[in-house]
Amino acid sequence: MSACIEISHLSKAYVRPKLLGHGDEHLVLKDISLSLRENRILGLVGESGCGKSTLCKVLLGIEKPTSGTVLVNGQNVAELSKARFKQLRRVMQVVYQDPYGSLDPRMDVRRLISEPLDIHGLYPEREEREKFLKELLKSVGLSEQYLARYPHEFSGGQRQRVCIARALALSPKILIADEPVSALDVSVQAQILNLLKEIKRTHQLSMLFVTHDFAVARFLCDEIAVMYQGTIVEQAEAEELFAHPRHAYTQQLLSAVPQVRTER
Amino acid sequence: MQTAPLLEVQNLRVSFQVEKQTYPVLRGISYILPAGKVLAVVGESGSGKTVHALSLLRLLPPTAHITDGKIYYRGKDILTLPTEELRRLRGEKISMIFQDPSAGLNPVLTIGEQLTETLHAHRKITPEQARELAVQLLKKVGIYQPEKRLKEYPFQFSGGMCQRVMIAMALALGPDVLIADEPTTALDVTIQAQILRLIKQLQQESKMAVVFITHNLALASELADEVMVLYAGLCMERAAASDLFADPRHPYTRGLLDTLVSLKNRPEILPAIPGNPPVAGEEIAGCPFAPRCNRATEKCRHSLPPLFEKDNRQVRCWLEETK
Repeated sequence: MSACIEISHLSKAYVRPKLLGHGDEHLVLKDISLSLRENRILGLVGESGCGKSTLCKVLLGIEKPTSGTVLVNGQNVAELSKARFKQLRRVMQVVYQDPYGSLDPRMDVRRLISEPLDIHGLYPEREEREKFLKELLKSVGLSEQYLARYPHEFSGGQRQRVCIARALALSPKILIADEPVSALDVSVQAQILNLLKEIKRTHQLSMLFVTHDFAVARFLCDEIAVMYQGTIVEQAEAEELFAHPRHAYTQQLLSAVPQVRTER
Repeated sequence: MQTAPLLEVQNLRVSFQVEKQTYPVLRGISYILPAGKVLAVVGESGSGKTVHALSLLRLLPPTAHITDGKIYYRGKDILTLPTEELRRLRGEKISMIFQDPSAGLNPVLTIGEQLTETLHAHRKITPEQARELAVQLLKKVGIYQPEKRLKEYPFQFSGGMCQRVMIAMALALGPDVLIADEPTTALDVTIQAQILRLIKQLQQESKMAVVFITHNLALASELADEVMVLYAGLCMERAAASDLFADPRHPYTRGLLDTLVSLKNRPEILPAIPGNPPVAGEEIAGCPFAPRCNRATEKCRHSLPPLFEKDNRQVRCWLEETK
């Protein structure tokens, strides 16, 4: 199995600006090495402020690394030309946590999920486009009638489905999912988790799944990396990690997960 | 003579009025909270759980109206209480903590000023006594170096520490009832566990009753003596926590429990509840859960089941009628 994302010795520092001279450096990612293999779901688990989202931003090319490299399909994300970078977007897409904040309220679903197609010049034929959009919606569990609806007409779970459809529009090979279910209602989370598992299979995706919730990671991930204060403290196959957590922090996190007591 | 229960809610109904349209959010809930017990109110967004919490202390926004029902604290009707008495009740007898601890604190006052403010408002004490009490309170909620931290501002505290301060403020006057509205939702898992332990410990020490509002069934099962499951502004099931989690009777409760991801096993597919919870205030004929229920019949779609009472449990489902 080859790696589609290869992170080596990645560090990222933010500089707090000062009035005079060089500001204070704040190291957010410290010497991270991690790889996402093809057709796998890698869970990145950690608490707020540990650097999970910053890592996603660096992977997506939104932030530049301070040192170290991120290779996506062998290409260094930080050094890509504009044209190459655009090509990379077809390969790697993202779903964010808040489905309320990530959809433009002025666009209907047709425009929301066509936008990536327009940018990349895909399905220019009207009929083909329409057929593709309908299939795309169906694949995320939404009926084609929703094409003309606006985000405010949807519940959180349905919005997240639209976000997933938008991410899948370009048939990417890699999906970065940054806490995609933590803003959803309990009874809806399971639907979206099932959907993510299904599209992983049907689209042959490799996925980086960022979460603070070990139980969610256990359901979805093949492999898990535990992050604490900007470093990866433990990385293992999911089954192995849950059976034998090694690092004290992993153990502490696992024991803090609330569980339903079903015995009387 | 029988003494009045600590807190009693009877058929509480709340509607929101927006542009002459009325949206019912709470459609008649009733319960009795005995002293020293923990009641968990579990529900998803739009279920009315927070509106219920705010009603208890008459903290609802002006667009919300209590259209029916009674709330009694030791036999006193909270809803008709004069303002001055209500002010004394708040904090002194019933106090509340909220989801977002940093929003509950004033950023321009020190922690000490905010803690002693509560004490001065309700007690005739000197500034020195108030300060001494504040130190003790911070100690009680597990804040290290309380004398030093009293002089600090909220921004110097982390989310978990802010929530500890909020709890200290809520407990300052030794209330009988603590209303905790999603007190750990904004916090990290490890901090959540700490805060939960703290609430439990303080509850047991001071024998106060807690109304614990949450969307998280696991938290309810760790803390509560009794659980009430809300859906679309209605109580769907109410039972002792141990009974409810061991043997959920309502299809919604059962569905919620089945759907939970757990650390113990890894199913291929999660048994998800189809569809979406109704939007708050939506008009619903019949059982609100019927559109998502795999056991729903024609009757469920047309007529709302009452709360059937049996074996000390309440279940709002027609399936209970024939049992």
